[in-house]
Order: sequence, then structure tokens, then C-alpha cells
Amino acid sequence: MESNQQAAVCIEWEQVFGPAIEAASRAMSTWTQGRVTLSLDEIRELPLVELGEAIQGGQEIATVVALDVRGDVGGQFLLTVDDDGAAKLAGLLLNRAPRPFAEWDEIERSALMETGNILGSAYLSALTNITGLSLFPSPPQMLRDYVVGILEQAVMAQAIESDYVLLARTCFRHLEEDVDWNMIFVPSPELMDLLRNSINVPNV
Amino acid sequence: MSRTFNDSLPSVAIHPVPKHSMPAAINSLKPAAGRSASAMREEAVTTASVGMGQIAILSPEGVGTAVLGSCVGLTLYDPNLRFAAMAHIVLPSSDNRTGGVGKFADTAVEAMVTKLRSFGIDPAKLTAKLTGGASMFETKGPFQIGKQNIDAVLERLAACRIRLLSEHVGGTQGRRVTFQCRTGQLLVEVIGSTPIVI
Repeated sequence: MESNQQAAVCIEWEQVFGPAIEAASRAMSTWTQGRVTLSLDEIRELPLVELGEAIQGGQEIATVVALDVRGDVGGQFLLTVDDDGAAKLAGLLLNRAPRPFAEWDEIERSALMETGNILGSAYLSALTNITGLSLFPSPPQMLRDYVVGILEQAVMAQAIESDYVLLARTCFRHLEEDVDWNMIFVPSPELMDLLRNSINVPNV
Repeated sequence: MSRTFNDSLPSVAIHPVPKHSMPAAINSLKPAAGRSASAMREEAVTTASVGMGQIAILSPEGVGTAVLGSCVGLTLYDPNLRFAAMAHIVLPSSDNRTGGVGKFADTAVEAMVTKLRSFGIDPAKLTAKLTGGASMFETKGPFQIGKQNIDAVLERLAACRIRLLSEHVGGTQGRRVTFQCRTGQLLVEVIGSTPIVI
């Protein structure tokens, strides 16, 4: 895809994902008492072969909260947090000193999964309002693994249909500093078609 | 050989190689008979990070890496000439789907053999190592795609009469794999486990 065409496509996709990210940011700000906010980083339709390079730190291990998109159509929603970020976020939510992942107990795991649940719910609720579809998240699952490996499974439904995958990536700021966390939305091919038709984005 | 796919545990197997099937190393490159090697073969690289759907040809000093979830990593290697092909296979069957030859098990194996043949490599001398095919989280999506990928690759290897030397497949965790042509060793890294060479 030409870069000008790619830029035009991204602008169109922002009509859909922009409001969803704003909703997620409001929810996250409330959840963290104003300390963490989100902003849209990029929306890309990228070749499968570039997936490994698309996410900074994707070839490394991170903590990931994964949710299925349920309802009228499907997809995947992933919150990825590096080790420092996971400790920082859990400590922030629980109002205690950050602890490394290896020392976490059930309450820290629950706090991180609930974060994913809150973000996913807000994001999908906004998409529901935009599209008129019923979209809601599954119960969250937490994994700690190579991010690209997890992303491979998340994009599999898209990979069956196409050599390109759509990723909507969001970056986080904690107390006005960028942090190495990512929120990645991978719509199913059906949802992607519905979203694409709603805003007249051409197929890759 | 019978195989059992366990949803939660990886399957690791190293298949013994009869001594007579491992001839001495040959250092010189022999072009494919009757064909111009430069016309037929693509570039062999010394380092490659093999992405989804990609096939990389590694030179005798080459090192290839891949991070695998449900995809399978297949390495075909000539222990004499020490060239290798490394593929990051996404789906079991091309089945009238669009995509490059490396994306599908039923096209990747033959494509790897063809590419290696252009370097004068006899397919009968090739050995295979297989990794990946995990199922990392529960999803409504193609849940068993990892197992399907493994089965499809094994079927193609059998059809091409390529001997499988070792495998580290299945389970619920991702893998970072690194293949070194100089030694023919494949390093498999799984979080929480000691790295293993297969």
C-alpha cells in the first residue's frame, strides 16, 4: 500500500477508533484516579510478515491481558505491559510499592485483569455506539509470554482471509510520561468489513 | 511413529539418526547440474528474523530466529553444505487462499526444497526440525490452528520424504527459536523453562 494511501486509510479508521480510545482513556483515568491516560498511537493495515516488528518489544516477554470480543461479531483485545510497567500499574492500583511479577499474588493479577476488562468494556461500548452492533468483552485471561506469539494467535482469523492485518494500537501515559504499554485491538474479518463499510475505507 | 497432542504440555522429541545416513561435510558449493545457479537461486543470508509467512534461506554461517505462537517454525537443513531454509508457517492449507508460499504448510515445504535445490542441495540429504504450534489462550477464533499446522507440516514432510530429526511443538506457551547453520542446532526458549537445544 502506498504511504499516501496508507495515511488516508488511517484517517478514515480514526473516525471509528478515535471515540473508542477516548472512552477507554476516560475509564482508565477514573480507574487510576487520573494518573494514567491513553491516546491513539496508530492504526495500520500491515503485512503479516511485519507483525513481529510492528510492536515495540514485541519479540520480548510481557504481561498480556487478553479478551475475546463477543456479541454480534468477534475479534481480540490485548493489553500488553512490560515487566516494569506491570509492577508499576499494580502498585498504583493497589496503593502499595511495586513488586516484580514473580512475587505477585492473586490480588495483583486480579487488578491487572480488571484493568484489561475496564479498558475493553469502555472501548467496545464506544464501538457499539458507533456501529449499532452488540459488542462486549469475554472474561479476561492473563498471560506472560512473547508478545508476538500471542499476537499471532490473535490475528489468526484475519490471517485466514488476508495477508494484511488491521491493528489499532494505543499508547499510555502515566503521570505525563509515556510508558511501554500497548492496547491492541484486532477486529475479526467480519467486524473489519462492517467497520470498513461504515466509513468507506477501501480494501487493501 | 505415533504422536499424542496434549493441549497443555509441549511435545518434545528427538529422533535418532542412523550413522550411515550422515556423510562427511563438503565445503565447496556445487551449482545445480544443467542450470545456472545465479539464475535460479535467491540470496542466502547470514542473519534472518523470519516473520509470519516468510521463508529465509540461510548461508552456511547463517543464524535464523523466529518467535512462534500458533504458527510453526520449520527448518530444513543440509548437514553437508550447511545451507538451511527456515519457514514461519501460519496456516495448514492454501485451499484457494491468497498468500505467499511460506504462509501455508502445503506450499511452504515444497517451496523450501525448491529454493535449496537452487544451491545444489539434494533434497534427499535434507533433515527437518519442527517447532511451535502452541495454543496460547482460549478464544472463539481458530483455536486448534496450532495442532492443524503441526499435522499439516508432518504430512508434507512425509510426502517429500524428508526426515524429521526433532520437534518441540504444542503446549500453551510461545517459543523463541534460533537456528545456527554452522552447527545445525536449534535453540528453543520458552518462558519459565531452561532453554533447550534440539
